[in-house]
Parts: sequence; C-alpha cells; structure tokens
Amino acid sequence: MQIQQIDEQQAARQGDAAEMIIKTRDVDVFYGDNQALKHVSLDIPKHQITSLIGPSGCGKSTYLRCINRMNDTVDGCRVEGEILLDGVNIYGPEVDEVLLRARVGMVFQKPNPFPKSIYDNIAYGPRIHGLAANKDELDEIVLTSLEKAGLIKEVQDRLHSSGTGLSGGQQQRLCIARALAVRPDIILMDEPCSALDPIATAKVEELIDELKENYTIIIVTHSMQQAARISQKTAFFHLGEIVEAGDTEKLFTSPSDERTQGYITGRFG
Amino acid sequence: MSFYPLLIVLLLMSAVGYWFGSKKALGAVRKSSSFITPRPHQFGLYVVIWALVPPVLLGALWVMLQMTPLQMETGTSQQIDRIFFPILVLLAAGGGLYISILRINPDLRVRKTIEGLVYIILILASIVSILTTLGIVLSLLFETIQFFKKVPMTEFFFGLNWSPQTALRADQVGSSGSFGSIPLFTGTLLITFIAMCVAVPLGLLSAVYMTEYASSKFRAVVKPLLEILAGVPTVVYGFFAALTVGVFFRDVGDSIGIDIVSESALAAGVVMGMMIIPFVSSLSDDIIMAVPQSLRDGSYGLGATKSETVRKVILPAALPGIVGAVLLAVSRAIGETMIVVMAAGFAANLTANPLEAVTTVTVQIVGLLVGDQEFDSAKTLAAFALALVLFVVTLCLNVIALIVVRKYREKYD
Amino acid sequence: MTDTNNSPVGSSWNSDKFMAGLAKRKRSERRFRLIGLAAILTALTLLAILLFSIFSKGYTAFVQTYITLDITFAESVIDKDGTRDPDAIRNANYAKLVQDALRAKFPEVEGRRNLRTLFSLVSNNASDTLRDMVEQDPGLIGKTVEIPLLAGDDVDMVNKGYIDRDLAEENRRVKDQELRWLDILEEEGDLSLHFNTNFFTQGDSREPEKAGIAGAMVGSFYTLLITMAIAFPLGVMTAIYLEEFAPPSKFNDLIEVNINNLAAVPSIVFGLLGLAIFLNVAHLPRSAPIVGGLTLALMTLPTIIIAARAAIRAVPDSIRQAALGLGASKQQAAFHHVLPLSMPGILTGTIIGLAQALGETAPLLMIGMVAFIADIPGGINDPATVMPVQIFLWADSPERAFVEKTSGAIMVLLAFLITMNALAVLLRKKFERRW
Repeated sequence: MQIQQIDEQQAARQGDAAEMIIKTRDVDVFYGDNQALKHVSLDIPKHQITSLIGPSGCGKSTYLRCINRMNDTVDGCRVEGEILLDGVNIYGPEVDEVLLRARVGMVFQKPNPFPKSIYDNIAYGPRIHGLAANKDELDEIVLTSLEKAGLIKEVQDRLHSSGTGLSGGQQQRLCIARALAVRPDIILMDEPCSALDPIATAKVEELIDELKENYTIIIVTHSMQQAARISQKTAFFHLGEIVEAGDTEKLFTSPSDERTQGYITGRFG
Repeated sequence: MSFYPLLIVLLLMSAVGYWFGSKKALGAVRKSSSFITPRPHQFGLYVVIWALVPPVLLGALWVMLQMTPLQMETGTSQQIDRIFFPILVLLAAGGGLYISILRINPDLRVRKTIEGLVYIILILASIVSILTTLGIVLSLLFETIQFFKKVPMTEFFFGLNWSPQTALRADQVGSSGSFGSIPLFTGTLLITFIAMCVAVPLGLLSAVYMTEYASSKFRAVVKPLLEILAGVPTVVYGFFAALTVGVFFRDVGDSIGIDIVSESALAAGVVMGMMIIPFVSSLSDDIIMAVPQSLRDGSYGLGATKSETVRKVILPAALPGIVGAVLLAVSRAIGETMIVVMAAGFAANLTANPLEAVTTVTVQIVGLLVGDQEFDSAKTLAAFALALVLFVVTLCLNVIALIVVRKYREKYD
Repeated sequence: MTDTNNSPVGSSWNSDKFMAGLAKRKRSERRFRLIGLAAILTALTLLAILLFSIFSKGYTAFVQTYITLDITFAESVIDKDGTRDPDAIRNANYAKLVQDALRAKFPEVEGRRNLRTLFSLVSNNASDTLRDMVEQDPGLIGKTVEIPLLAGDDVDMVNKGYIDRDLAEENRRVKDQELRWLDILEEEGDLSLHFNTNFFTQGDSREPEKAGIAGAMVGSFYTLLITMAIAFPLGVMTAIYLEEFAPPSKFNDLIEVNINNLAAVPSIVFGLLGLAIFLNVAHLPRSAPIVGGLTLALMTLPTIIIAARAAIRAVPDSIRQAALGLGASKQQAAFHHVLPLSMPGILTGTIIGLAQALGETAPLLMIGMVAFIADIPGGINDPATVMPVQIFLWADSPERAFVEKTSGAIMVLLAFLITMNALAVLLRKKFERRW
C-alpha cells in the first residue's frame, strides 16, 4: 500500500513537471484591523522557482510567511482561508507548526547566522530535530549541506570559527546551508540578495538555480531582473491582491493586466 | 517517611522513568514512518513530568491544608503526615509513570506537554512579583486595621503629639500612649525638603553640563564617579551624617553662636541630598538627551548661545520630565531609612527649624519594631500603619512620576 | 564695520549695541558653564570628603596594639600537682599569670582599684592566648617568655593617638595614672602594633579590641546566597516570560506596571513584609539568613527583572526568526539562542542587584538580624547579622574604639561592593555585543 503510493508519487513527479506542491485557496490575512492579503489564491509548482514581485507593502512577504506559519509569531495576526501542502491544510488543527517549518525552510532578507561557529550554525537544525543519530552522521549532514550551498571550499578549514565572521554573501549562503541541513522540501526566500553586493548576489542566484533540482523555491524579490533571471513562475502582488501570476517569460513580455505592465516598465513601484 | 527520603525515592523513580521512556520511545520512533518525530529524550522528560507533577501538586495541597487552622486543632496530623501522605505521593508518582509509559507512541505531541509545563512555570514565576505587592498591601492593611481598633483614626492623622513609648507602662494614666503622626510627617517633609534643596540644583546642573558641555572623555570619567555616590550603602551615609556632618554643623554653630544640635534635620537632609544627587542627575541626563536635536539646531540656527539654548529651549522642553524625575527623587528621600535612623532624632518635635532635631516616619518604624515586643500592642501595630502611609505616598508619587515621564517621552518619540 | 547705512538688510548684526550685547551674552555663557562645572565639582568634593572621613578614621582598625610582657608560666598556677593533666591545664587561672606579670612590671601599684585599672591595660582575651600556648606546648610550664598580648581598647586608642592628652583629667576616659604606665611601656618598647587578624577571623564582641567582622561576613554570604538562589531564577523566568511569551493582555500589563512600582517601594517596607509573612505567618527562624535572604530576594527581584528584560530585548529579532525558520519552537528559540546571548547582560544586572542587597540595612532590622551575635553562623538557619547591620550596631556603640572599627568595617564593605561592580563592568565590557 505504502510502496504503491510512493510509486504513484514518483510517476507523477516524472510525468508532470508542473505538479502543484502548494495550493492556496482564498487566503485573507489581517494584522489587527488591517487586511494585508485579500483573497489570494496561488498554486506553487514543485521543483521550480516561483518569484513573488510587487511594490513595497503589497503583501508578498506576508504571503511568503503564511506558507511556513511564521505569521503565527506576530501578535494580532489572523489568517483565513486554506493553504494546502501536499493536500493537507497547514492551518488545520492537527498540524504542528514546528514540524511544518522543518519541512518548509526559510532564508531571510538580512543574513542572520547565529553568533556561533559555522559548524554549530548548520548543526542546530539537525540537533533539535534529531536528524543525526551520532556525531559522524551530524558531520556528514553539515558537510553535505555546505557542499550543496557551494560554501564548502571557502570554509572547510575554519568550520569552528564564528559564522558572523564571514562576508555578507558567505553568511547568506551559510543561512541557506543551514536551511538545507533540515532537509526541507520547500525553501522560502525573503529578498535574500537585497543586502548583498552584485558579485555575492550572482553567486547566491547561481546557487538558487542549482537548488531547484531538488527543492521547491519561492522567492520574494524587489528586483524584476532577478525574478526574470532565475524564476520559472512569477506572481505579481499589488495592494494585498494577486494581480497576475503565471510563467515568468509571459508575465514579463506580455502582461495581461495594465498594473503589471505599469510595474514592470517602472511606472510605479 | 520524612521529606528527604521521599524526595530521593521520587527522584529515583523519575530517573528510571526517564531511562525507560526514552528507551521505549527510541524503539517506537525507529519503527515510525514519519520523517520527523519527537526526540527520545523528550519522551523521557514527558515521563518524568508525569511522575513528578502529581506528587508536587499533592505536596502543595498538603502544605496549604496544614496552614489552615483546622489541621492544627486535630492532633492526628502526625500520623497522617508520616504514613498516609508518603504512600499517597508514591502512588501518584507510580500511577503517572505507568500511564505515561503506556501512552508513548511516535505521534504523541510530547513537546507540547513539556513546553506547556515550562510555560506554566514561567507564568508562576511572573506571578511572584504580583504576590509580593499583594503581600505588602495585605499585611500592612491587616495590621493597620488592628491598629485603628485600638487608636482612633482621627488621632493618628490629626494628632500633634507622638509618644508611643508611654504605652509600655500599663499602670500609668493615659497608658495607651499618644499616636498623633503629624510631627512625623512634618519631620519627614522637612528633611526631604532639605535633601531636595541639595540634590535638585546640583543634580540638574551636573546633568546639563554633562549633556551639553562636557567632552565625551570628561563624561566617561566623571559619570562613573558620580555613580559611586549612588552605590555607597545608606548605612555608610548614616555614619557619615551622624559622626562627621552633624558634629561639623554643631561646631560651626558653636563658633558663630547659633545653637545647632548634632542630630539636626540639616545634617540628615544634606547627607540625604548628597546620596540623591546621582539619582537626579542620571534621570535628568536621560530626559535632556531625549530633547530632540532639531530643537537645539533651531535655536543655534538663530544665533543663540549654548546657555541661552539650555535655558530658553531645552529646560522648558524638558521640564515635565524633570518634574517627574524630581518626584521620583522625593519618593526616594521619603522612604530612605538608615540616614535618618542614624543621624536624626527619635523625639517627635513639631518644628520647621532645620537646626533642631526632628524625627521621620521611617525612624519611628524602626524604633517601634526593633527589639522584642508583643506583636499585637498598639506600639508595634502603629509601625504598620506608618508603613502603609509610607507605601501609599511613595506609590502615588511613583505612579504620577512615571505617567508624567511617559507622557513627556511620547511627545518626542 | 561702519557702513551700516549702505545696506538695509543685516544692518544691526554688527552694530556697537549688538556687539556690546554679545560680549554680555558671552560672559553669561561662561558663567553658566562654570556653574555647571561647579555643581559637578561640588558633588565630587562631597564624595571625596565622605571617603576621606571614612578612610582616615578607619585605616587604623586593621592594626591593633599589643603589650609585650614577661610572662612566667608558673607551675604553681597552671599545674599545682605537677600531673600535666590536660583538664587541669585547661581550667587553670591564666588571668593570674597576666596579672602577676603586670605587677612585676609596676611593683609600686597598690590598692584594689588601682590594681584593677592596671589589669585592664591588657585585654581579657590574653588568658585565652596563654591557655592556647600552654595546651600546644606544655613544655612552657616553668619558663618565662616575652609575649605580646592584646591590649585593652583604651590602651589601643591612646597608642593610636585618638585620646587628647590635653583634656582635663575628669573629662578624659583614660586617666593620668594609666597614661603614665603607658608612657613607661612605650619607653621600654613594650607597645607594638600588629596586623589585626582578629578583625577578619572573629565574630562580634562587646570588647572593641576583640570584635571582628567574620561573623557578619559569613552572615552576608549566606544571606546573599539565598537572595541569589531565589531572585536570579525567578527574575530570569519572569523576564523571559514577559519579553518572549506574554501575549499583550490586561494581566500582563498588570505584571509590568507592578514590577516598575515594586522597584520604587522603600526598602523598609520589604522588611515589614518579611516580618509579617516569613516570621509571623511562616514561622521561619528570627535573625536567620534564610529570612534575610528571602526578604532581600523580593526586594532585588524587580532590579533583576528590569535588567534581564533590557538584555533580552537587545537580542535582535533576526536571531529568533532564524531559529523559528529552522523549525525550532518558540521556547527552543528562547532557551537555545536568546537566553544565552542575553546572559552577560542579565548577569551584569544580577550582580548590581546583589551589590545593592549586600549594602541594604533597613529591611534586615525589621526581621531581627540586628541582635548581638558573637558566634560565626554555621548555616542559613543560625542567628546571624550582616555587614551593613554590623556597621549600624558598631556605629551605635559608645566606646571610642568602635568608631575606628565601624570605619574599618565600612572599608571592607566598600571593597566588596567595588569588587562586585568592577566584575559587572568587566562582564559588560568583555561580552557586550553590538548588533
């Protein structure tokens, strides 16, 4: 029975590249009396990069934070509607938000390594979730995570020096490695390059592109060029609503909505 | 079984529970198909909680029962204490162990249980500070009510004569003593006033100089030095006031032909003011700093000098905050005890002359309660009534001061 | 300068009148600045006077006068039967040895009263010293040895120059006769000053020369131990709860307002609380460090909570977010990351709070820690006193020698406080993290 299911899933993965891992249905988010998101419905395809664009305060970060329930930590925040992850409503009563966040990793706008060693930064997630039975397994996880994040060459001889001593770009890749170490299915990125210089940005973008082989990535970005460069799907948010969503290429070349047109040509934003 | 063996048995039981729980959980987790399950040690803690919480609750209930008068009257408590209670506790712990180990399976949300308990402990810790306030209010109020049963309220609040010592001699006429507290309040106010006359100008001017004129180097050296004044224990100030300042004022008085007693209100007040200088200066410092730079810039832009800016712009803008700071300092001075106990007198004089000895509320509280006496005499109860007045007055001053300061800060935020 | 007529704008800023006014304003500016500086200097001068008056009175407390006497360990006094029985040796009349030595030194003194005055030159602790010597080495019996013996407090005061010899005899505590004896002793080099070990190893005493602060130091230690064991965990837990978990609600506002107000409650009120609750309701032992510690813990709690909250608030939110984003629970984020990072700040606040508690006197007077206690307390339930209360007690004692002892004890207390505050500063300097 179980084996059969897995087979089916694998078949689906290979057969249909656009299998939807997240389905959002009519989501409203309120901060106190303020409505930050209005009737948002969006499907996120598996193993692709989806970028969320839009002017400041349009609700794109709010939406991103709904997917791993980081909004729960904000006082007075209320979420209505459904977000289905593999068919399960993540706001359902039986879902533990902590386990959800282990499945849906997150990378933040400003690199935020813990003021601990590089090794401990990455090992923290596996430690709290018990992903490694012993020290060797933990070492293994740390090294593969660093490798996946393309950081291994730069830091392998100083794993036990502080993570805050790295450069901004390295710190951000450390944070990505840290997220990978928990073996998530989905990685949320909230403007991960906005605090980085162009060279570091290029490296992180390259990394994101490689990661889509194995992970579903949702990225909030201010830079339309970045969205166009790296993502397959794009959703344009405006005033708490999704104006337009679809293939990145189509959205940037022939947007169907006037507001999208206005935003990508730089008339407002 | 007495307390410690019982405790040891309980701890042993929970250690066994921890070991057994994590072992069983390890097996269960291995078999589980879920990707992430609670850690075995969390299951261990879960079992420990089940083993320890029921006995602790029982123990708390037990202690509370013993505090009720009912338990004290029935003489059987000894036996119950020794046999019945330990058995009950061990049964509860054993039951908890058994149930929790039975319930172990990988889908159990043990983290929620553990964190729920931690959360409750945190809330209980936070409640201690509320209980402290409640304890202060209730204990003061209770004894004060007793006091007013013996001494009429009108005498206490409006009487001009304070001599509680006569209450000891029961055979004397008017043996109830006299408890008119007006001289204490006037004495307290007099000393506080003198202290403020020293502390407010010195503290405020220091703060102005520090914020507006001093180089950062000067600040870095002088500020900690001033803070030393705040760190010196009050008993040291008391000793200084009694032995050095009081005597000094008396000698100066002698040499110019004025009669100054060595326990004068002046000596106590001046030394208390000295203690409060850093309090006023650091509060005013914060408040002057909070005046926005734009106001200063506006004034300098018109060609005003620094002192003109300070006097005409900064101080008026900071005035409400400074008033708040002074109120806090007054409340500090009113509640100060050791300086006045050591340097002011015990005799209650109704006078406004700073060269004479006066007494204060705190001095009388100490005088009434130090040494052995019956607890329900009017004399000891009077101390509680005085303390209640002290508590209420300082509380009001603080609340007003905090509101004033907060309003002030909001204005510039 | 003078062509003011030519331009209608800016005509007055360099006029003579303006310039005169400017000079006046500059003067007033200088005056104001000087007044500010004077205020600071006054405050610092007051501090200097305070410290000087304590130190100049107190430094002599660390030495004590000894009188060297030729003590003959006469067998007839110590061990009449010659059995060397330890009991006999212990119970012998050693005071007589001292008295005999003094009489040998001053053979002309006669009469009961004069003799008693003579004997009082040496502290009554001398017989204990001699007993200890003989018990250690019974071979001394029969020999004559030169031994420095602790002098009485009057001798000590005279020797340290605290007694004004020009005062008329009837106004003077030490009479001419004693001064004469002391002069003789001085001339023969029999008076000497030794480091005052008793001051650091003995408990309180009615005789100033024997009084020490060891009892009070141990009492302070036990009291602070209790205070720390209770206030630190409670304070940290409250701060964590309020900063990390408390949802905004009326109840939590109440806790917050309450803590701010508790911080400003006069310390003596906490003493009354301790008296009413810990002594009269809970029946804990009077004068014991356990009660003192509990009372001071309640008093220190707000200080620790406020410092701990500030330290926790200083940890940036990005750290919490990072942990939560990895699937840590709120509590894991708080206890694995926020708490360790704020620990230096919390410890700094705690040390400062404990330093306050160490210097606190008034509340302890209320719970009976003001009794005369000669023994060094052996535990948290023994009757004890603490250093500031010991200072208060000595300051109240009439003997001149206690003034010196009080100042000495203050110096020791200040040394402890300075050490603690230096530790706090060091901790802050070393671990302070700028985000």
